[in-house]
Amino acid sequence: MTRKLYIVSTTAFWLAVLGLGMTSALWNPAEQGDVQAQGKTVTLAELAKHAAPGNCWMAIRGSVYDLSTYLPAHPSPPEIVLPWCGKEATEAYNTKTKGRPHAPYADELLAKYRIGTLVKAP
Amino acid sequence: MSRLHLLSLPILLLLFVGLPVFWAFPEALPFWRSSGIVLGWAGAGLLLFNLLLMVREVRLASSLGGLERITVWHHQTGMVAYLLLLLHPLALAAAGWGESPELARKVISPISESWPVWLGWGGLIFLMLGLATTFMNHLAYGTWLWLHGLLGFGVLIGFAHVLQLGISAGAVFALFAALLLLLWRMLRVDLGTAAKPYIVTSVRAVAQSMVEVSMKPLAMPIAAAPGQFVLAAFFKGPGYQGCGEFHPFTVSGLGQDHEFRIGVKALGDCTRHMQRLEAGVSARIHGPFGEFLKDLPTRPLLWVAGGIGITPFLGFLRQWPVISPTTLIYLYRGEQDAAYLDELTALSAGCAELSLQAEATGSGLPDLNRLLPEAAALANHECYLCGPPGLIEAISRILLERNVPVERIHFEHFDFR
Repeated sequence: MTRKLYIVSTTAFWLAVLGLGMTSALWNPAEQGDVQAQGKTVTLAELAKHAAPGNCWMAIRGSVYDLSTYLPAHPSPPEIVLPWCGKEATEAYNTKTKGRPHAPYADELLAKYRIGTLVKAP
Repeated sequence: MSRLHLLSLPILLLLFVGLPVFWAFPEALPFWRSSGIVLGWAGAGLLLFNLLLMVREVRLASSLGGLERITVWHHQTGMVAYLLLLLHPLALAAAGWGESPELARKVISPISESWPVWLGWGGLIFLMLGLATTFMNHLAYGTWLWLHGLLGFGVLIGFAHVLQLGISAGAVFALFAALLLLLWRMLRVDLGTAAKPYIVTSVRAVAQSMVEVSMKPLAMPIAAAPGQFVLAAFFKGPGYQGCGEFHPFTVSGLGQDHEFRIGVKALGDCTRHMQRLEAGVSARIHGPFGEFLKDLPTRPLLWVAGGIGITPFLGFLRQWPVISPTTLIYLYRGEQDAAYLDELTALSAGCAELSLQAEATGSGLPDLNRLLPEAAALANHECYLCGPPGLIEAISRILLERNVPVERIHFEHFDFR
């Protein structure tokens, strides 16, 4: 009984993973709309005004992201992420785990929250 | 079994799963992401619980309802933990699916340069491989045990995965607890530090491919009772080199000065080698375990033994006379396999309450409908079964059909893999 359950569940798992991979390969990103296009210019001073958990903007790699709604879903404890609200956080983003950057998955997720471009003038 | 013993495992299970899930329960997250997190922590809690069930301490085993029960729970909760941990990445991927299938793939893709994902996959693959080898019963016990250890490695990698996610408090505790339990098991059970030193005093053949081994303690004795079993490993003697693996054997008799006897049937490579045991061989004994014939009720008893399953009943009869009407059905393949039959016949002749029914069954399953008493004759009986799993299953089914309540059917079979 347990042996059968193991075989069925393991096979179903790999089929699901395979199905996910194949669907992803056939996915046409053009249908998503161009989220990168939206945006405005944001200064460091304006960025600094959004430094609260419920109003959290971060500048990463030249873009500004409004992460207010995403923060509760971030896997790290709040004390690791919250201090970067209202700041230029590229270095923190690039050195997440033992000096490694976030995964491509995170890059793609981050793009959904882009609201503009950072201008270095205060 | 007392109510406290009966509830001990469910209560521990609730604690091991409930506490981490409560601690890590996500708030205000999308459904699938919350589900992924809860599944991960529930699976992790179950794995820790499972490691606790590998620890074979005499008092702990007794308070949890016996080693046999613990092993059944170990098998079942291990499988459930595996299922939860298979669903964990799939639920997280489902959370990304709302955004795009590409995002769903990237959540669990091992191609991405991410230690948490690599470790997550590593842990899952080790669990998968370890569990696959668990079902390979044809492997020699020693090989099987080492391959089964892959599961422990998978658990440690899994908790390292949690640590890499930045969830330090929970992960450090879980990793430490897992390491402690694995080390405990390895040192106390597999390397035998919980076992007591004994020496073989005599060996006699009791049937084809079966010997009875008498041993006496070299230091502190174990407190064994007839019907209980021990984990025994044999090592070096004057002309013998044992395989050193711990195998379960029922205590078939007690002697003077804490000496005791076990029946050893050749069922695998190591036990086949034990047929050549001789006096003077050193042994280590861990136990005793089991409460099979402890606190027998005063109502009539039906004992059914298949092959080497006769040893707990023999051990009991050698020590004490039965005081309730007792029918002992002893099933063996052929005359050459009928261990202890002469002794059992003599014991039965000397005890008015004991009725012996010995049957040579051949290699197939016997006609149990004929051999077992009819429903009317079984009324008010307490039934005790010991033998191969297939035989016990078939007998239990017939007893239930003949209106014996399930709580009056007790069985013991040594399936500790």
